[in-house]
Formats: sequence, C-alpha cells, structure tokens
Amino acid sequence: MPPRVDKEKCDGCKAEEETLCEQVCPGDLMTLGENKKAYCRQPRDCWDCMSCTKICPVGAIETRMPYQLGYHGAKLIPMMGTDNITWTCVDIHGNVERFRYKNRVEPE
Amino acid sequence: MDKIIPKIGIIIWNQGGRLSQAINLDALVKKFTKAKNVACCEIVEELWTTAFFDSLKNSAENKQVDRFLWIGRFTPYQMKYIKGPLAAAGLNPYLHEWMDLEDQGICLKETEPEIRAAKAATLIQMAIARTRLLEPLEPMELPASDAILIIGAGIAGLHAAESLSALGKRVYLVEKESGVGGKVALLSRFYPRICDPHCGLEFTLQKLGESDHVEFHTLSKVQALSGSPGNFMATVIKTPRFVSETKCNACGECLAVCPKEIPGLYPVSDNLKAIHPPIPMPFPPAFAIEREHCPPECRECEKICPAKAVDLNQMPSEEQIPIGAVLITTGWDLYPLSAVEEYGYGRFDNIISNLEMEQLLSSHGRRLTHPAKLSLSDLKEVGFIQCAGSRDERHLPYCSSVCCSATLKQILYFKELVPDASCYVFYQHIRTSGFDEDLYRKARELGNVTFVRERPAKVEHDNHQGKLNITVLDPLLDKKIHLNLDLLVLAGGMCPSGGSKETAQILNLPQNQYQFFESHLQCHPEESQRTGIYVGGSCREPMNVSQSIDSSHRSAMQALKYLEGTVRIEPTYPVVNKTKCDQCKRCMEECPFSSFVFDEKGFPTPDLARCRQCGNCMGICPLAVISLNNNTIKQLAVQIEAVNASFMGKNEPVILALLCENDAHKAARAAVDQGLPVPPNAIVIKVSCAGSVNNAIVADALSLGIDGILIAGCKDDQCHYIKGSQLVQKRSGDLSDKLKTMMIEPERVRFVNLEIRDAHKYVDVLNTYIKDLKGMGPNPFKI
Amino acid sequence: MSKEQPLDIHAIPTEVIETDLLIVGGGNAGCFAAIEAKKLKSELKVVIMEKAHISRSGATAAGMDAINTYIPPGKTPEDLVRWSRSQVGGGPLREDLALSNAQTLNGAVDDLASWGLPIIRDENGEPQYRGGWDISIHGEQLKPIMAEKAMEMGAEVYNRVVATNLLMDGDTCVGAMGFGVRDGKFYVFRAKAVIVSTGGACGLYKSYTSDATNSHHQTWMCPFNVGSGYAIGIRKGAEMTSFEQRWVATRTKDHCGPVDTISVGYKSNIINAKGERILEKHYAHLGGDKAPRYIRANAPMEEWLEGRGPTFADTTHLSPEEAKELKTDYLNERPSFVLFLASRGQDITKDPIEIYGSDPYVVGGHTGSGYWVEVNRMTTLPGLFGAGESAGGNPNKFVGGCAAEGKLAARGAVEYLGSVSLPDLDLQQVEQEKERVFAPLLRGAEFDGVSPLEMEERMQRLMDEYAGGTSQFYRTNEERLDYALKHLKMLQDQVKLLYAKDLHDLMSAHEAIDRLDVAEVLTHHLKFRRETRWKGWQTRSDYPDMDPKFDCFVESKRNKETGEIETFTRPYEQIVPGDRYQP
Repeated sequence: MPPRVDKEKCDGCKAEEETLCEQVCPGDLMTLGENKKAYCRQPRDCWDCMSCTKICPVGAIETRMPYQLGYHGAKLIPMMGTDNITWTCVDIHGNVERFRYKNRVEPE
Repeated sequence: MDKIIPKIGIIIWNQGGRLSQAINLDALVKKFTKAKNVACCEIVEELWTTAFFDSLKNSAENKQVDRFLWIGRFTPYQMKYIKGPLAAAGLNPYLHEWMDLEDQGICLKETEPEIRAAKAATLIQMAIARTRLLEPLEPMELPASDAILIIGAGIAGLHAAESLSALGKRVYLVEKESGVGGKVALLSRFYPRICDPHCGLEFTLQKLGESDHVEFHTLSKVQALSGSPGNFMATVIKTPRFVSETKCNACGECLAVCPKEIPGLYPVSDNLKAIHPPIPMPFPPAFAIEREHCPPECRECEKICPAKAVDLNQMPSEEQIPIGAVLITTGWDLYPLSAVEEYGYGRFDNIISNLEMEQLLSSHGRRLTHPAKLSLSDLKEVGFIQCAGSRDERHLPYCSSVCCSATLKQILYFKELVPDASCYVFYQHIRTSGFDEDLYRKARELGNVTFVRERPAKVEHDNHQGKLNITVLDPLLDKKIHLNLDLLVLAGGMCPSGGSKETAQILNLPQNQYQFFESHLQCHPEESQRTGIYVGGSCREPMNVSQSIDSSHRSAMQALKYLEGTVRIEPTYPVVNKTKCDQCKRCMEECPFSSFVFDEKGFPTPDLARCRQCGNCMGICPLAVISLNNNTIKQLAVQIEAVNASFMGKNEPVILALLCENDAHKAARAAVDQGLPVPPNAIVIKVSCAGSVNNAIVADALSLGIDGILIAGCKDDQCHYIKGSQLVQKRSGDLSDKLKTMMIEPERVRFVNLEIRDAHKYVDVLNTYIKDLKGMGPNPFKI
Repeated sequence: MSKEQPLDIHAIPTEVIETDLLIVGGGNAGCFAAIEAKKLKSELKVVIMEKAHISRSGATAAGMDAINTYIPPGKTPEDLVRWSRSQVGGGPLREDLALSNAQTLNGAVDDLASWGLPIIRDENGEPQYRGGWDISIHGEQLKPIMAEKAMEMGAEVYNRVVATNLLMDGDTCVGAMGFGVRDGKFYVFRAKAVIVSTGGACGLYKSYTSDATNSHHQTWMCPFNVGSGYAIGIRKGAEMTSFEQRWVATRTKDHCGPVDTISVGYKSNIINAKGERILEKHYAHLGGDKAPRYIRANAPMEEWLEGRGPTFADTTHLSPEEAKELKTDYLNERPSFVLFLASRGQDITKDPIEIYGSDPYVVGGHTGSGYWVEVNRMTTLPGLFGAGESAGGNPNKFVGGCAAEGKLAARGAVEYLGSVSLPDLDLQQVEQEKERVFAPLLRGAEFDGVSPLEMEERMQRLMDEYAGGTSQFYRTNEERLDYALKHLKMLQDQVKLLYAKDLHDLMSAHEAIDRLDVAEVLTHHLKFRRETRWKGWQTRSDYPDMDPKFDCFVESKRNKETGEIETFTRPYEQIVPGDRYQP
C-alpha cells in the first residue's frame, strides 16, 4: 500500500533529521530521500494506518489502494480539526461521501 | 485537580435603548439565562452607577459569579474602569469577556430583523463558549540586569551612553579601535555651525570619564551573545594594546624614542608611530602599540616610560559581561570609491574621498607627511563630484542624504582657509533638506563657487603638471566646460560598516537588501527584529550627526524596559503542550523573532522575554499544540463550534472572518461605524495576527458547515510581525489544495490584505465573496 | 534516515540505562502499565522501550471503533468470564486471570473516557451497546490519547529502540537489550522489573494477498507486531501457554479488515453464494449467530470448500444512514476499508461485503496464547511480567481487557520491585548480545547469504502449507507439522547467514529471527494437541474430534541446555460456576 508523496508539496519537513511522517510510521517505512523529499521505502509493507497522511503539515501524502485489491482513482482524504476529523471519500465513479466526527472530548 | 465550574454573569448594556431598538433583548435574556454555566443574565440601561458596581462586586466576592461577559459597546477606557474595581474585589482582570454586537453589524437597519436576531444569538453563544474557558492570569516578573552593552563608541553610542548613565544604568561601551569617536572624530567641521566636532565630543567624553557607571572596552569586539532580553551574557574579546590602561597617563615620552613610523588611518592622514595615542580620539587616554610593526628586539618605549606602563607581554583576553539589553551603534563606512572606475580614485593622489577631504581640512596649519605633500594653500582649483557611486544601480542604489550638505560645509570651511580658491560642484540634484538649504545659499553667495548640473564622464591626469583634466557638458548653459583641477573630491556614500556586518553575523540579526540592520522603519526604527537588541545611528541607514544622536536615544529609551532590574512579561504568552509536541520544530523555524529555544528535554519552548506574543507559533504548529494564554486554540474552537452555520437562512452563505487586530479588524469596525452597507453574512473573530490562524481551526469551521472562511491581515511588507501574512497565505494555500482533493471548492478559504482604513474594501471583499459562495452553493458539510 | 554503517563492532556505542520499571512495547497495555505504575508510585522511574513511536505504534495505530468488552449495568465480572469461556468452546481458560481482568476492566475503559476518548452515548449519557458487551467509540485518537497520558505521567520513552533479548541474572529477568533503529546504538536497560507488552505475532503465516505488488501486509493484525515479546521469553526458558489456540477470524476478503463491526454491530448475517444464512443453517446446534468465534471464523471457509463460495456479510438490509455509520466505524479503526470499497465502486446496501478467513495469528488478546502468568501477571521468569496480548491464558481481552492487563501487570511489578536491588551488569552477556544483534549489519549488504525478506517469505510459505495456513483451510496433520519443525530448524540454523544493508533491514532481520522462534513453539503446540478442539484455530485432520484427555492447557518451555522445546500440560480449573459451554 504505497503512501504517495507529492514531491512538489513535500518540503522534507525543512530537511529536519526526522520528517514527521518518518517519526510517526509504526512500521518505520517513511524516510527522507536523497532529494530531501519523503518517500515510503517499502510500499508492500505498509499497513495503511494512514498516520503519515494525517500528520503531514502540508498535505503532501495520499494513501492509495494496491491495485491487487481495488481499482485506480478512488480517494480517501482526512482533514484534522482541533478535536474532530473530517474524511472525504471519492469512489471510482466519482461519488463523494463525507464523514465528520469528534475524535477527542474534554478530558475530565 | 478540582475542575472549576464557571459561573458567568452576563451584563447587556443597552445604553439607553441602543441595542433593544435593533433586537429583542428580552428574548435573548430568556434564552441565555438558561444556558449552561450562566449564573445570571441581565440588561442594564445605566451602567455607571455606584449601586450597580457595588452589586457586581458583591456577586464576585460572594462567588455567585466568577467571570463576566459584557455585551455592548465598551471603549478600552471603559473596560479599564470596569476591570479595576472588580480586580480590587478579587476578580482577575482576565476573567472578563467583551462582545460588541454593534461591531458585528447587529444595529444596521438594512439587515432583516430575523437575521439580526439569529446573528445576535449566535454571537452571544460564541461569547459564552469562550467565556467558559477563560482563566485567571498574572503577569510574570523575571529578574533582569540594569546594564546595557553599546557596541560602537561613535557619536551615537557616546551620547546614548551619557544619557543612560545619567539615569543610573551601567553602560559597557565596546569599541574596536583603540580610541572612541568613530567617523565624527575624523571630521574637520560639522554643519550647520561649521564648528569643530572635537569640541562636542570632548564635552561628552568628560562627562563619561567622570561617571562611575560607564566602562570602556576599546580594542574590543563582541564575540558571542547568549541569554535572553533582560538577561543577556556577552562575550567580549579584547586585543592587547601592550600598554597598561591604568598606568599610562599619555605623557608622550615614548613617541620621541619610537623608531617606527606607520601610516595613519587614511592616505591623507598623518603618519603615526608604532606606539601612538588612541585613534581617532585620545580617549580613553592610554596609548596603544601596533606590535606587528615593531622592529625586532626593540623595547625603547618600555625603557623610557616613566610610569612603567608598557607591557609587551599582554595577551588577548575574554570577558563575560551580563547585561539586560544591547544597543548597536556601529556606524558606517565610506563606499569603496575605487569601484567607481570613471573617477580614477586610487590611481592618482589628488583624487580623494569626502572623508579624506575632512582630514585634509583638519591639517590646516600643520606640516603634512602625506605622500602627495598637498598643502591646503596650494589648492586653488578644487572640484567636488556629488553622488559618486550613489543613486547608481552599479554601486549604491540609494541616496546617503548627507553628502550634499557635507560637501557644501567643506566648501564653506575651505573658503575660509583659502579664500581665493575656486570650487566646482558637479551634481545631479542638490539635496540639502530642511534648514540645510541655508548651506546651499551661503555657498552660492561666496563667489567663485560654480555649480554644474552634470557629472564628468571621466577624469584625466595630466602627468606633466600633476593636475586633473575634466570635461563636462553643462546642460543649463548647453556648452562644454574644460577644467584643470588641483584636487578632486568624490562625495562617496555611506554604507554599513565592517563592524555592522560582523555584528549582524555574530548576533544573527537580519539585514535589509542594503545590508543595513533590518528594522520596522516607520513605527519601530530602533528594532533589530531580535527582542532586546536595538540599533541606532547610521548603522541603521545614512543620516547626519543630529539624527544619529536622536536615533540612538530612541533606541536607548526602548531598551530601558530591559534595564529595570526586572522584566515584566504579560501573561498572554504562548505555551507548548509538551505531552503532545512531536518536536517537529516548525514553531522554532517560523517564529519571526527567533524566540524559541530548546528546553532540557529538547522540546521547543518560547523565551518569554524575547517573545512578542504574536501567535504565529500557534498558527504554524501542525498539531495545534501551542496556545497563547487567553487566546487558546480551544477558546477559538469552541467559538467556531457555537456558530450557527445556517443563521442567514437557506440561501445565504455564512462567512467566518478571522481578522487581524492591527489592521483588518479595525477596517471592519470602521465599515460599521461609517454606516457602510456591510452585509450581515460575516461572523467576525479578532485574532492577534493573521499568522496565528491554525489550519485545524479552519478545518473545524469548514467541517461544521460554514460556507467560507476569510482570513485578513496586513500586506506582506507591512505585517507588524514581519511575516505573519506570508505564513498564513502559504498554509491556507496548502489547505485549499487539500480541499480540492476533497471535492470542496478551494476558494472556500480566502486570504485578503486589508489596511487599517480599508473600510470600503472590506465591504467590497465581503460582497464579492458572498457572490462567489452563492455561485458555489452551500458548503457540502452544511446540515 | 539511517546513519553511516560502522564496519567495526567497537565503533558502535553502547548506552546503559538504569530504571525501576522497564516496559517493552509501548502499545495499549504498555502505556496503561506505565500510567498505572506512575500513579501507584510517582517517584518510580518508568521507561518505555518502543520500536516505533508510541503516538501511533502497534495494533491501535489507525484507531479503534469499539471497546469489545465493557460490563454493562446489571452484569457482573463473573458473567463476563462465563461468556468468554463459552466463546472458546468452554475453555480451557485461566478463570483466575479472566476474573481479575473483568474486575479491572471497566475502570480501565473509564480512564480512557476521562482522558478524552469519545464514547458513543445514548440520550441518558450512558454508553451505547452495539452487542452484548461491546460499546462504540470514535477511537481515531485512541493511541495518541494513551501515549500523551503516559508522557504526562512522567514515563521516559525511548522511541525507535528495538528489543532483542532479555537481560538475565541467572533465571531472573533484570532488564532488556536492543538497538536503536535510528541512532544505531546498542541499548542495555537495567531494570528491577520488566513488563513485556509487545502485542501478538503476525506474519508467521503467508497472507493470501501477499505478492510482489504492495499488498504483502494486507493482514487484519498489525504486521509490525511479530511476537518479539514472546521470542525474548522463549529464548530464556519462559513457559508459554496455549499457542495452538491461534487466532483465525472471518475478515473482509482481500482487504482483511475487521468484520465483527458488521456482523455484531450491524447484525449482518454471514451468507454464502446461494444466499443461505450459514450459521443458522449449519451451526444452529452450536448457537447459530451466537456460536463461538472459531465457528464463525471457520464457517465461510467450509462454504468455500464445499463449493458454495464466495461468502458475504449481508449488508443489503442496511439503510443508507446505517451504511454511513458502519463506514464511520471503519474510519475509526481501519480507514482503508472505506477506500477499498470506494476503489471497487461498491455500494454495500446493494452488494454485500465479501468475507473470508484471515491468515492465522498468535494473539493473546483474542485467544489464550502467550506467557504463562500468575495472577500478579508475573511469568515463570522472576522479574518478568506479561501484559496485554503477551500474557496468555485469558482470551477475549481486546482493547479494554489489554488496558486492564496493563494496570494489573503494573501493580504486580511495582509490588515486586520494591524488594529488588539491581545486580552488577553482566558485561559478557552484554557483549554477546551486542555481537548477535549487529552481526547481520556487520556482514554488510554484499554478503553472500540470506536477506531478511527471503527468510520471512520462506518461513511464511512453510507455515502456510504445513502448519495449517489459509491455503490449507487451516488444516494440518502430524507429518506436516514434523516437516514444518524440521525446516524451521534449518531456517534457524541459517540465521547466521542473514545480512542487513541498513538499520531498518537489521530490524527486519531480527523480526525474522523472532518469528522463527515463535513459529517453532507454535508448531510444537499444534503437534502436541492431538485433537481438534477449536476448528479453524486449530484443525487436526488426523484427529478431527475433541478428545477429553486434552481438556487442559498445553504448555511449552525451551530447554536451556539442549535448546529443544519441551511440551507438557497443566490442568484446567473451573472457578466460576455454571455450564462451561453456555454464556
């Protein structure tokens, strides 16, 4: 499951030692390439948890389905709010479905 | 930790019917008295009565109410009059919230009553949501030094030192030369009185010498600066002068025995001995030795010195000096005129700079050791080329503002000394501004001073007689003039000194495109963009002597707040939530004032003394874990959550307008005050800087169904916080791109520039946005 | 970004850290253990050793949509134990562990709610039940919430440090060792007590979608949990229990995502290609739709075998609103499933969701596999405690139960370490482990040997074909198991040929090594239990029926002298009265 990095948008997290996607990936799969852009070193090992997609500050990462499993062109885009998350799903026929819910409530 | 249950007291100031004429206040009171955490909600017609204030104090003291929401139009003075007495009754001044319904257009007659009512309800809902989350806050007092470091002991630095020491502040003056005085000490005369600058300098130096608050460090430079405003630590390195500063009394016996002559500061300056009095001015008085020029084994000065002051084994030393603020007055250098090839500077001895002309004029009456052996009285034909290497794209593109006046002063003084000399001024424009016009008039009245409104294309040297041949086309007379000059003086421009550039690097200070210190010229000319470090005098931009003195005093005044023994930090500073921070350090990189440092665990944390509390860190944090006290992400989020995205009815879009408080918000307010037809669709939230708007907040607003988000801030080069507008534009651009992938119109997030009086533009912007949003249709997230 | 690889072991720095409590694996149980330990004694130094980053590591990386066990008002912890017991066909299970867990369970879930986890509530503010014991949550931030709380309580977290072996003082565990996958250092943690909470073991078997392009890790279980926590105990002779009780479940076909949400939460029946309700039709005698989980896991596979596939969870009865809610649930736990449906253009109210069995896992949170532990969660190695999926004997823990395990293990460990003082550091043990750890890296990328990927793939296909993987419909027999053991031994022998080209690869190499040790124990357990008690989880073609002789726990221990796995039994003890086979 390759997370795709848009090289135009990716700023390599300002070429920090560890990019945010690299920091968060539970499988140690994201890393900074020679061109100072992030990429997934082993797409077949991705578990599509989408942590990288959610954390990218410039929205440069998109999660894709492997072609083995699903056809090309569908999209699932998360947008993080302060205590909520909004998901937009576009299927291969162009139908759009939107979801929004709170993912944090006030701690007691 | 016990959770505090808020008890909000809502006071609606009807001001004799102003609000109730526009909306049904009773209905609002009925609705909001029942709201969660509201202790009471009342309408008050007359606010400024003792009885009313007593009742408020009572409620606060009896803990019936622990915070107030004031609805109505309150000026800042009035807010003070309310907060003060209630603070005395124990209510922290930060536990007040103010909601001006009029500001948001509630009283505008053009808006329909239902809309006005719905909007008022939503605005109050928002204000209550924020009021619930208010917290009592206290300012902090950090201990601070009472000392200031002044880098550069020229006229600006010396005068600032005098004023500050007179106020009881300790002053450390660091100067790279062996003596003080800078460029002004090199001048022969200054205008407008054509008097000797050494007189004024001596006057100041005497006071400084007597003060026990001032310490001079000559032959010294600042190598490093650590710490934070109020508590800096400067590392100053001193090159050895090889003479004891305590023992030497400048008797001069050594001068007679020193076998070695070395060149002076400038080609036209007198030669010096290897051991010499401090230059440019002999203050502090101890002599200095240019050790690299000493003949091997020579110790004549040491032998002869009656005070045993010569110490040939002196080593460089380093000192750590604790200070509260730094004032940089490192002055200017002359533009290297050899770059202006057409005028031949450096090729011939009788082509000199205006600074060297000052040296020459100072030499009157003395025998010169200058190689050209020019004697003033020999100079009968003297030319002055103005704007030499200035206002020229190839060299300095700007005007140095003083060279015309300086040249005219030189002519006036020169003609005193050599009355029968002829002077020629080759100029583009004579820029003697203000009262300096007088110099121009006097020069013309002198006789034998010719002004030619053209500069020579080239200068040729007549090897035979040593004179300079100049040909120039006078445009006013429309004929060529041929001249044979004894001396040509090039009026060179002022550029940042080597010391300025070095200091900029060591202290990591931004420079503008001309490499002068970058400051916010109109409003904060003293700033260097690093809190606690100020700039004054001509290291900031070309200026004359009195302007330099003014400028450094402005900076000194501003620096005072870090020299008071304590630094007061307003409580509205940013706080980083370190359990959530992932150390991406974007806050550190983007802070316009480089205010972030690392804490012991490697988390970015703001240096509270440096921080300007602009909120850009709050805006940039990708996880939204930085909040400004009293202006937190959560406080903003609950307001947005409280917005009724359908208050305008079915077909009208609702816009959330996040307006920066410096400019954009004032424009919006002005639009209402001027009675302009402001459409009611916008809900306005004031923010500290457009750059403080976090993408997560915008995401909240969009996902809750608000049709459009308008972010407005100052223009790029006018932002009070330097780049807040730029930063938010880039971020909102990224968010717009994401919106596209989410099949949402990217234009639902819009950024505009608004200046403080752009009331009409504000109305236009809203109207255009409303039209565009109607074309897009309602936000897909709208319920 | 990996650093320059050193060519010399002496150039690799060793960092030694002393702590009171070491937690290996900063997941759900690990974070809860840290928080509880700090709550009990805030002055204790608590270190979490985590091979990823605790904010999103482990099985809850994407989130969670439900807490599968939360005791509702009117029910007791004993009721929960009874239900759990029936779900595993009457056991055997460790009822003492199950009871202590059930007593701590609600407190752990309430903790999560108090830290900000949104629990879906009804109009009265009570948690909304979607099944008998399951409550719904919007848990997309579940992991960050736990991680932040652990940080807030003062746990010191070492992210990106892989645990490779325990540090022992004779038979007592006094810490753990490992390496930094970013900084390339060798780490030695000296601890008075160690809690192992590394989750279960995934990737022992070949996933049926595993191929060259991008879907190798299309597993239900987190593929980054490889059973290292088990392996480090196995290697030091700790006793393991019930590994043969593998977790095999019905999952969405190909995507391999959770299905309980659909079947339990949205009452979607499992149907075959003929539209027949399988559970009702064929398993009514075992409870039909309420039949034990392994029945539900195996049922679709039987349909395929009998030629009545494909099989589906029938969602065609859902209204559009319910379908949307269902997708919202998935977005909270396995968001890619929504993308999966979108990339097939599938409207689940018209086309039901296809289901199939998953690859088998060793998952102590769902079944009883794991360390044999006492009630205080201490394993048979003094000083080593098991929490969460690492602790065995108690199936049906899930998220809430593993959180409770973390608390229980912390309590046990904190009490234990009060009387412990650290022995001197065994430098020889440290040096030996350092050499073992870095050996593949020091061999270098050009070494003529075996890559971690090759070893992993070889093992996965071996297990699939011989130890009851998906391609075999989970069935195996004595001869195949012996074959598997023989070849596992050869693979273990060839571990000395593993090479790694960088630190990430080195982690893969150790994951392969750890999986081999777990697979070996698993195969022994499967071999020992000569019966079929939980069809699907453990299907013996040569012993297709249940044998009352095996109404006990199957245990194993590696003999430290011979290196052989020895298997034996422990008796089952019923504590909670009632019919074992009824909830």
